[in-house]
Amino acid sequence: MSDQHILSAYDRDLESIQALVMKMGGLVEAAILDGAQSLETRDVELAEKVRANDKAIDELELRINEEAARCIALRAPVSKDLRTVLTTLKLAGSLERIGDYAKNMAKRTNVLVEMREIPGPDASLRRMAREVEGMLRDVLDAYIQRDAKLAEQVREHDHDVDQMYNAMFREFLTFMMEDPRNITACMHLHFIAKNIERMGDLVTNMAEQVIYLVTGELPEDSRPKADSTSYISKVD
Amino acid sequence: MKDIKFSARNVQVYYGTTHAIKDVNVDIADKTVTAFIGPSGCGKSTFLRSLNRMNDTIDICRVEGDILLDGEDIYDKRVDPVQLRAKVGMVFQKPNPFPKSIYDNIAYGPRIHGLAKNKTDLDEIVESSLKRAALWNEVKDRLDAPGTGLSGGQQQRLCIARAVATQPEVLLMDEPCSALDPIATAQVEELIDELRSNFSVVIVTHSMQQAARVSQKTAFFHLGNLVEYGETGQIFTNPVDPRTESYISGRIG
Ligand SMILES: Nc1ncnc2c1ncn2[C@@H]1O[C@H](COP(=O)(O)OP(=O)(O)OP(=O)(O)O)[C@@H](O)[C@H]1O
Ligand SMILES: [Mg+2]
Repeated sequence: MSDQHILSAYDRDLESIQALVMKMGGLVEAAILDGAQSLETRDVELAEKVRANDKAIDELELRINEEAARCIALRAPVSKDLRTVLTTLKLAGSLERIGDYAKNMAKRTNVLVEMREIPGPDASLRRMAREVEGMLRDVLDAYIQRDAKLAEQVREHDHDVDQMYNAMFREFLTFMMEDPRNITACMHLHFIAKNIERMGDLVTNMAEQVIYLVTGELPEDSRPKADSTSYISKVD
Repeated sequence: MKDIKFSARNVQVYYGTTHAIKDVNVDIADKTVTAFIGPSGCGKSTFLRSLNRMNDTIDICRVEGDILLDGEDIYDKRVDPVQLRAKVGMVFQKPNPFPKSIYDNIAYGPRIHGLAKNKTDLDEIVESSLKRAALWNEVKDRLDAPGTGLSGGQQQRLCIARAVATQPEVLLMDEPCSALDPIATAQVEELIDELRSNFSVVIVTHSMQQAARVSQKTAFFHLGNLVEYGETGQIFTNPVDPRTESYISGRIG
């Protein structure tokens, strides 16, 4: 089957919405990396840049929503085209929320500068953020190449992020029990870890959406949740 | 599961040496709207016409295979095509009112099939049929005027009124809305939806949106083959065959 529509303006519309999603994805990737770096290096300026860039991400989401609505109204897309348009909406929604989490992460840089240093978590947080950013990069590739296999691999990676989070959760508990003066800083760091874990979940949702786009069906097996922190009451 | 109204088995239709319908097997459900879609010349009208033996009127046309209506072969020698067509009504691609008054266009069928006991009955059938076809308000003051003097869209609705007047069990419609404005189209679609509670409706349409709006089942024809047949929702969201996908999404096939 040809990928081209008889009406070439239709192809241009669909391409332009997808290009906006890719652009938004690029900004969100940068926000994750910059956010994580601003934390690690306690770089208040970089944190400010992440916050400022979030506006651009939000604006892109609005534009994608508008163009998708326009395309639905004017072109009445069906089948694969409908899935393409619906997917742009969903992906843009997830990207916007990931961007928010990245912004939130950056915001805490200002707070952490004031806190006592806790060795260890910084590097773990950076690894976790890198992992999520890598997943996001793959999911965007899977999206633009219509690669359901790659999207499936991304889904599987979510498990790793969850495990990193669980490990950090335990680590924070240990620090806090060792010395109550660590509590404030650990609470902030925990929020950051949790936010990164949530980003991983959103990227996983995006991967599922890409699978839907390519195959017409959402993956059946819902992902096994690996956040076991709700069972941890004490660390031995 | 709805009862099956029509059952077509290995149906072939030829015009001379042209093989217009190729080995079509399909079950058409009762109390359901079935849409036939497909590119121009793929055989939609041909197959539709074979369901009430309209093809009999074309000399070079030959139908093979079995077409069963309520389990009975409609091509059996004992079947009277006129009786069959009263049961299986049809609205054609081009409006074809009789050269008679608006009233008589509609009263004709009920009269010959003895559906009205008296003039009052007949008046009632004419009025309700015109109302169902969303034409009553436009013509109620000139029922004696010739049907051929109406506009194209009005003529089409007159033919729809004529078809429903005999209370057929199945209504075959070949692009019934191609000459109608959006309001009349919506009214005809509303009528189709209403008919579905009692009848089986088969509609040929070139409007994908219309097929999606009015039908529960969709059949996609391509070069005389029935390529895909299924739930309308499935056909329009996730068709199985790439030819269906290309066609419904307006791609180069
Ligand atoms: N009376 C006829 N004599 C000879 N060939 C015919 C006749 N009617 C139809 N055909 C041929 O049979 C094939 C199917 O035609 P048909 O009218 O069923 O197509 P269709 O799907 O209804 O197209 P459209 O959407 O344009 O109405 C075409 O190749 C057409 O040329
Ligand atoms: Mg036709």
